[in-house]
Amino acid sequence: MNAIRGESLSKSFQHYQVLKGVSIEVARGECYALFGPNGAGKTTLLRIFATLHRPSAGSFEIMGMDGRRERTKVRALIYMIGHGSYLYDDLSVKENIQFAIGVRGWNPTDGEIKKALDQVGIGRFARLRSRYLSAGMKKRLSIAKALLIRPKVLFLDEGYASLDERGVEMMNECIRAFTKAGACVLMTTHDRGPTAEVADRVGVLNRSVLREMTVKEMVAADALF
Amino acid sequence: MVATRFIGWLRRYEKWFGITAAVLIAVGLYTALVTSSADYYQGEVVRIMYVHVPFVQTAMFSYFTLFICSIWYLWKREAVVDNACHAAAGLSLFFTAGGLITGSIWGKPTWNAWWVWDPRLTSFAILFLTLIGYLMLRTFLDDKEKGATFCAILAIIGFIDLPIIHFSVEWWRSLHQPLSVSTRGISIASDMMIPLTLMSVGVSILFAYMLMVRTQMLYLEHLLEAKQGRLLSEGAL
Amino acid sequence: MHFFSVVRWIAWKDLLSEYRNRENISSMFFFALNVILIFSFSFSLDPDTLKEIMPGIIWVAFGFTAIIGLGKSFLIEVNNDCMEYFQCLPVPKGAIYLGKFLGNLLFMLTVEVVLFPLFVLFFNLEILDQFLPLLLISTVATIGLSALGTLFSALTVQIRAREVMFPILLLPLSVPIFIGAVEATRGALSGDPFSMYRHWIELLGVFDVIFVVVSFWIFEFILDY
Repeated sequence: MNAIRGESLSKSFQHYQVLKGVSIEVARGECYALFGPNGAGKTTLLRIFATLHRPSAGSFEIMGMDGRRERTKVRALIYMIGHGSYLYDDLSVKENIQFAIGVRGWNPTDGEIKKALDQVGIGRFARLRSRYLSAGMKKRLSIAKALLIRPKVLFLDEGYASLDERGVEMMNECIRAFTKAGACVLMTTHDRGPTAEVADRVGVLNRSVLREMTVKEMVAADALF
Repeated sequence: MVATRFIGWLRRYEKWFGITAAVLIAVGLYTALVTSSADYYQGEVVRIMYVHVPFVQTAMFSYFTLFICSIWYLWKREAVVDNACHAAAGLSLFFTAGGLITGSIWGKPTWNAWWVWDPRLTSFAILFLTLIGYLMLRTFLDDKEKGATFCAILAIIGFIDLPIIHFSVEWWRSLHQPLSVSTRGISIASDMMIPLTLMSVGVSILFAYMLMVRTQMLYLEHLLEAKQGRLLSEGAL
Repeated sequence: MHFFSVVRWIAWKDLLSEYRNRENISSMFFFALNVILIFSFSFSLDPDTLKEIMPGIIWVAFGFTAIIGLGKSFLIEVNNDCMEYFQCLPVPKGAIYLGKFLGNLLFMLTVEVVLFPLFVLFFNLEILDQFLPLLLISTVATIGLSALGTLFSALTVQIRAREVMFPILLLPLSVPIFIGAVEATRGALSGDPFSMYRHWIELLGVFDVIFVVVSFWIFEFILDY
């Protein structure tokens, strides 16, 4: 059984058809990297799988569950790290984590939170209000949440954006940890270097055509699109 | 596809609705304005009733239609149902406004006031404001599906709220304005009943006809937008 | 139970944020203060007239407070895309509604309790012996107002021209609450026995139940369109 299976997915916003009949499959324990020019619909595809958009046409399954009818079950299995930080400015880093995990029905101990924060390198800012966090630190905080939630399917929308070199390395370690544990990672990215270190498969999405290739081909290609 | 079949059905039958409405309203107006007698108390003024009452009834009927279509939309999420909601809301506003205006014109000679805070009038004024809010909401939305859902929600809440408003105004008015002017229905003579019924049924069918035409129009607009979108995303425009 | 823990987490988050920045309560309070000031200039203030119009003044002031406070209620969720996080949560969306509703109710009541002494002060009201009935009326009316306001706040923050649309949608539909509140307040202020205006409070109670239940049920569609 595949972790993610999308079949001829289409999505249009008002006047603009972003996706038209895109099909994709990602196995468990696999890291799949999506490349593509700006506006190709990578994020939209991710957001459809993350149950944030309803597809205009087509169907998809997450861990064998129908993404349209069994949304609540699907949602218990997925997590998305996107451009939104999902933070409350006046809560501290730790309180934000407590809240975000708490509403999912689980209360991690202080030790677990500390461990996750240390793992992403912001352990010493636990008591800082998230208002004062930089974009990179917010990204790290999102990764810490993912580490605590341990989703079966993780979506990374431009996972490396706004992270420093060490952050990128840390991100790759986390991705490896996830895939090792059997989770599936679907990411959109523009950085071929770091992606090559973790990705198992690569797809280039351009004008609703998904061209799949191996990591080697991706590294060797002059231009992807 | 459901939408195509639905639109085809509308296309096939709309003219019968149009013709029936035209005949009923023509006969109704003739009997109302020419053959029926004037009211003993109100005189010729009473003839505005033949427009006012059908408009008010149709306004309620159209809002009920909007309510049903909104539930249908939340259930099925068909674009064409959203078009029907949009059409019903616009028509509902039209008939509500018509009912308020004719009622006001009727009220001046009979109650010597353009407006009284009667439960029915107040409910209608609030219905009018809600519908304006509804149509404004439609213009302020970017995402089409989100917009359709939000509008459906507003229509449902408004529908549930209307009896509450009516009821609370009734209580409130019984406290402040002991019924000096009765706005309860006047007793209706039998030769008034025929034109009134003809007009009521005629205007309701007119509404159905307008709804059918307007829904098709909005659906075509929707198709056009989709087509334009496809061409845009293919880079053809 | 998980459902109630979600309600608690949402309310906790709102209260803690508010405790730290005091944005909502202070803007509600000072806005209402200005409304009272304008009213005191707008009407001749001989005691008889005042008695007649006082309930109206009080509830117009509270109504404006609601527009300012409840309208901002979901801004905190939009700023960092927290609405998306809620949308992706594997919990019933009604729990989120209840949490927000409770927080809003508490903010509104706090402001109202602070405003009542000011009415007494500025308009020389004698309401000390009517304190309990007035508190009851305020609570019952504010429950209904918060129920509708929370729903429409969640709806309007997601659209353009939200500041305009919020009162345009909220006010017509909350007319019954204002009628009930003004009439009951009139009874209490003129020193009528409780049984004379009890039916208004009961009516407001019925409205509260309807509004809360309907909003609770329909909130699912606002968050997860």
